[in-house]
Amino acid sequence: MNLTGFANHQHDLSLLKDSGFTEVIVGMREFSRFGRLEHDTFLKLSSDAKALGMRVIFEWDILMTEENFDVCASKIHSYMDHFDVLRVQDPGAFHWAVHRCDKPIHFIAESGNHNLEALKGWCEAGGNKLERIVLSIELARDTLKEYCTKLPVPCELLGLGRILLFYSPRSLLAPLSPEKIVVNEEIEALGESEESPHKGFPVLENRHGTFMFHIKEFCLVEYASDLASIGLSWLRIDQRFNERNFTPEAVKIVKREAMFENFKAEYPQELMRGFYHVNKSDVLFPKLKNFRLQRQGDFIGEVLEAEKASHLAILVKNPKGFKVGDKFQIIHPKGEIFEGEVHSLRDVNLVEVSVVPQGELALIPFINGVWVKSQLFFRESSK
Amino acid sequence: MKAPILPEILAPAGSLEKLKVAVLYGASAVYAGGQKFGLRTAADNFTLDELREGVSFAHERNAQVYVVLNSFLHDKDLAELPDFVRFLEEIKADAVIVSDLGVVRTVRALSKIPVHVSTQASTLNVEAAKFWKSMGATRIVLGREVSIADAGKIRREADIEIEMFIHGSMCMAYSGNCVISNFTQGRDSNRGGCAHSCRFEYSLEDINTKEKKSAFFMSSKDLQGLRLLKDFIDAGIDSLKIEGRMKSHLYAGTMSKVYSEALRYYEAHGDFLSDDLIRWEQELSKVSHRAYTEASLSEPAGADSIFNEREDHNKNEWKMVGTVINASPESGTVIEVRNAFNQGDELEVIPFRGEPIIVRATEIMDLNRRPLPRTKPTTIVRLPFIPGIGASQLVRQKSV
Repeated sequence: MNLTGFANHQHDLSLLKDSGFTEVIVGMREFSRFGRLEHDTFLKLSSDAKALGMRVIFEWDILMTEENFDVCASKIHSYMDHFDVLRVQDPGAFHWAVHRCDKPIHFIAESGNHNLEALKGWCEAGGNKLERIVLSIELARDTLKEYCTKLPVPCELLGLGRILLFYSPRSLLAPLSPEKIVVNEEIEALGESEESPHKGFPVLENRHGTFMFHIKEFCLVEYASDLASIGLSWLRIDQRFNERNFTPEAVKIVKREAMFENFKAEYPQELMRGFYHVNKSDVLFPKLKNFRLQRQGDFIGEVLEAEKASHLAILVKNPKGFKVGDKFQIIHPKGEIFEGEVHSLRDVNLVEVSVVPQGELALIPFINGVWVKSQLFFRESSK
Repeated sequence: MKAPILPEILAPAGSLEKLKVAVLYGASAVYAGGQKFGLRTAADNFTLDELREGVSFAHERNAQVYVVLNSFLHDKDLAELPDFVRFLEEIKADAVIVSDLGVVRTVRALSKIPVHVSTQASTLNVEAAKFWKSMGATRIVLGREVSIADAGKIRREADIEIEMFIHGSMCMAYSGNCVISNFTQGRDSNRGGCAHSCRFEYSLEDINTKEKKSAFFMSSKDLQGLRLLKDFIDAGIDSLKIEGRMKSHLYAGTMSKVYSEALRYYEAHGDFLSDDLIRWEQELSKVSHRAYTEASLSEPAGADSIFNEREDHNKNEWKMVGTVINASPESGTVIEVRNAFNQGDELEVIPFRGEPIIVRATEIMDLNRRPLPRTKPTTIVRLPFIPGIGASQLVRQKSV
């Protein structure tokens, strides 16, 4: 398993090198969501990384409106000699990198891209320039296995680090404290939602907007050998937000040189595996609405009024209309089923008629138990 | 001088009834979802029969129907897509709205149905638009962070149709880049399970000072771009989208009516210098909404675009009291009642075009022509017949 990680300082670089990393991801403040490097510090770090024999991956992962995009695209040329690979997420940056840049590309496909067809599409669009694809942490193991096997480029996955939940370009923390002096263009807070039992969501505002993270960090380092066995090529260790860099300890877990339980106990945040074993994030959907209220079969119309001892008023929606002799089935919103046949039919003027056309009200005698919103369907024999 | 081409008004159709309301009130196109593949799992959505009827209804009135396939689909979802795409082609749906490259490729491989790239894909710049065009997209629904001026540039330089939101609720996050529900509630927000966590109140503790503040800091005001219509036209924007498939019939009707009426005024006069502008704005304020903002349409959305207060859906001064089912001298004005009103109340019937018709409910009868002092929801009542009122028109009342 190959490992990749981030560096903001010389110290990070040394830790990565000492831990066996052959590459480093660097983020400049202007191009990277959480980058903290300025012009000079980037050049120095890049130079140091190259001196250590490490490949430099330049992270350009912000999403950009046109003006910002133009600024980034024009400035990046001056850094071309100082990195080896361009790492992008915005489809515009991806397209630009494919057509206007000579560097190999790492494409971050972490938002969405939960099907093989999409990932194949990015690979085809990237062509020979696409060196690696970064997969979503919402993918379960079996899915990862399929993708790692079938995609034509090596795949990368987050192994340890924060889970980004929310990315807005708007400044959302600064307006709460307009008097506050902002240090290094960043404001940080811990959020607690009234609706959620979770407390302590890290919230960060910087020049690119506002970001909220999960209270727990994502961690698959204990599954590194399993991930390697299913074909994952790269595991990413992200320690940009921790005061102490736990990369060496994480690498020991990857290499099975230390106990995960000890690592977990020592790590400053709680850890989670997310959807690694299974992703059931659509399982609740059927409960979000009443499917009994849907049209099924040969629909006649809907009960708009149920007047006890008098009538059911039905808005006829079938082009065939509703007529005397029709056999029907009524499905109550709670699922109860009633069956009947039209013996007497009145129109909106209370006149006895033999047929009520589409779009008109039809009145039939009241049926005990039928409510408003019940749906009427032709029974098979009436068609 | 060549007259500018006016954009279409694209209205939400959360159900077949809402589709009909939107089209009757002037929308030139609607977007609707089937039972799968869309982002509004809890909306009524359309069965196959309803989609067929909806497309037919819209086409008979020169309106178009775009079908949303804008979830980020997982493989098992994608496997079910081909049959639905073939069905959409059969019923002559006018386009599909897609977020995911896998869906774009699947649709393109199976059919010639035009592909619109959803705002969920957060297309924000010329290069991104060029990318999607190269993948076969015919239209881009831009991210709501894009200004009208930039949208015009994207249209010119990428040479592709551009759709922009002009009205409705907004994600505070870049669309498609919020997974709060996924990780806190186990509901995939990008497959229709959004729990609207951004609308919650949060207590925020400064990590340095430990000072705590409570705020609805992730909740956005609603977009309203009526006064920028001319800018949209000048920029050559092809389609103006109204958000809200989960919203009411009154919303679908009012939005479709106001924006299409404003465009017709422009078509006739070449400007929006109309006293009606105030009336249109008043109409927009008569449906339930959060405070309005122009968000990023002119300048990047600032602090004043945050809706830092608790949602109150009952706050609106106007409520929908029902829909006219039938109106003739014989039947009277027959109304399906959604919210109760009393004898003597003043109601407004909203015609498909023109100003509301004021109706005093002096005489209310039930369907059996028995007098009533007060109506009840989920009943049908008769009021006296008034010329100009017709079936499918919406009825509203100012709340007491």
